[in-house]
Amino acid sequence: MLDSTLRQRPLALLAALVLAQVLLLAFQIKRDHDVRLIRYWTAAAVMPFERSGSWGFSKTGGIWSEYIGLRGTRAENTRLRTELDQLRIRNRELEGQAGEAQRLGVLLNFHEAHQDTPMLAAQVIGASADPASHTLFLNRGDRDHVRRNQPVITPDGIVGKIVEVFPATSQVLLINDKDSGAGALLADTRTHGVVKGSGDPDPRLDYVVNDEPVHQGEMILTSGEDRIFPKDLLIGTVSIASQGNPFQTIHVRPAARLDRLEDVLILLTLQELKKPNESADGASAESGAPGIVQKEAPLSAAPAKPASPKPAGASSANPTPAVAPPNHQN
Amino acid sequence: MAYMLNPGAQSESNIEVHKYYGGTVLVTAFLALVMQAFLNKYGRWSELVDLPLLVTIYFGVSRRNPVTGMFLGGAIGILQDALSHDNPIGLYGIAKTIVGYLASTVGARIDTQHPVSRLALIFLFFHLHQIIFAVTQRVLLNHPEPFFTLRLLVNSLATAAFGVALFALLDRLRRSS
Repeated sequence: MLDSTLRQRPLALLAALVLAQVLLLAFQIKRDHDVRLIRYWTAAAVMPFERSGSWGFSKTGGIWSEYIGLRGTRAENTRLRTELDQLRIRNRELEGQAGEAQRLGVLLNFHEAHQDTPMLAAQVIGASADPASHTLFLNRGDRDHVRRNQPVITPDGIVGKIVEVFPATSQVLLINDKDSGAGALLADTRTHGVVKGSGDPDPRLDYVVNDEPVHQGEMILTSGEDRIFPKDLLIGTVSIASQGNPFQTIHVRPAARLDRLEDVLILLTLQELKKPNESADGASAESGAPGIVQKEAPLSAAPAKPASPKPAGASSANPTPAVAPPNHQN
Repeated sequence: MAYMLNPGAQSESNIEVHKYYGGTVLVTAFLALVMQAFLNKYGRWSELVDLPLLVTIYFGVSRRNPVTGMFLGGAIGILQDALSHDNPIGLYGIAKTIVGYLASTVGARIDTQHPVSRLALIFLFFHLHQIIFAVTQRVLLNHPEPFFTLRLLVNSLATAAFGVALFALLDRLRRSS
């Protein structure tokens, strides 16, 4: 059958024979770079198809990825937006926690610098409903041995005093409340006065005679005469000082940021805070409290148990200032 | 002459197909290859005659079977390539395959018994063989093989003349019908 076919079509057989020998030659002949001719031909024959196939696949893949594959993009976009919102909320939470950790770190440094001074960290949980009343609520109360008239401070400066104690909370009267008062003195001249709230954000330093030189930015410290705040705690700085009748009108910029308090310290003693480098454990000065102004002679060591000072005439029930005006007033 | 070279002068059925004793074709082809290789040892004068080509042409036109002619030509050409020292296998094979096919085809259509027609056929097939060989060389090997030179003309004439005598000698190997 095959033989007869070949005999009927010798031209086809001739072509096959010649082609076979051409292929035989191609296997033997080497062109440039020592590559056999059959490889050249095979590559030349195959590459256009591969190139076309590659082009087709890339186009098909592009259509798939750019059109068909995007059919779920809308839902994915919605999901990603939701996830982004959640992450933003989470980020804010973490930022808040980081800020809280930083604040607590400052408090911890302060506490470690005055380990011999009993103090209690507290968190501000609320404020007064009356805009004219500058009070705060803390998350510490009678269970934590908090007592009335205990000073509340931050590492920046004093905040106020405890005026009401509840089982788990307590109320703080800020130094800028109109019913508040604290014995104070000017750091440079050691001139005594009383820092009283005026109802404005900034309290006033009263009972400083006109003859006393007071300059703007001068530090105002606690004098300890009110028997509430230990001596030499920073109250603030002089923002405005002008002549008055009979005393100067001195505006005080509180050192503690009274409008954004979150964490505070309740001093459980009236003892004077030591300088950081004089602490019993030798805490470093860097970790000390900026609100504590160094004094010449430190007081004695802290008591072993929390104190509950109740100085005479310092009751919060008394709307008058907690301290009397200094004696050198005119 | 016109009668002998005119393809339409005689029908294929009237052209005699010559038979040979068994092994004659193979032995003759083998001897042609051996002698060609042997004579090439003694100088370039042996290049005047292409014995394998003559054998291919002779048995092609005598057997008048294109299939047999192309296979014989292909085999002789491949063996000739194999005996050469630098030719890739298939270079002569392609040329002689085509020559064998064409010789068988021509032999089936015209009478090739006359010496003049044989001389013309051998001359033409020699140059056709050279053209195919040169084309193969140029296309596949990038060798500038010439299609025609004066030396090739001399060789073709010498091969044709020698072929007429050789064909007459080979005619004696035919089996009487």
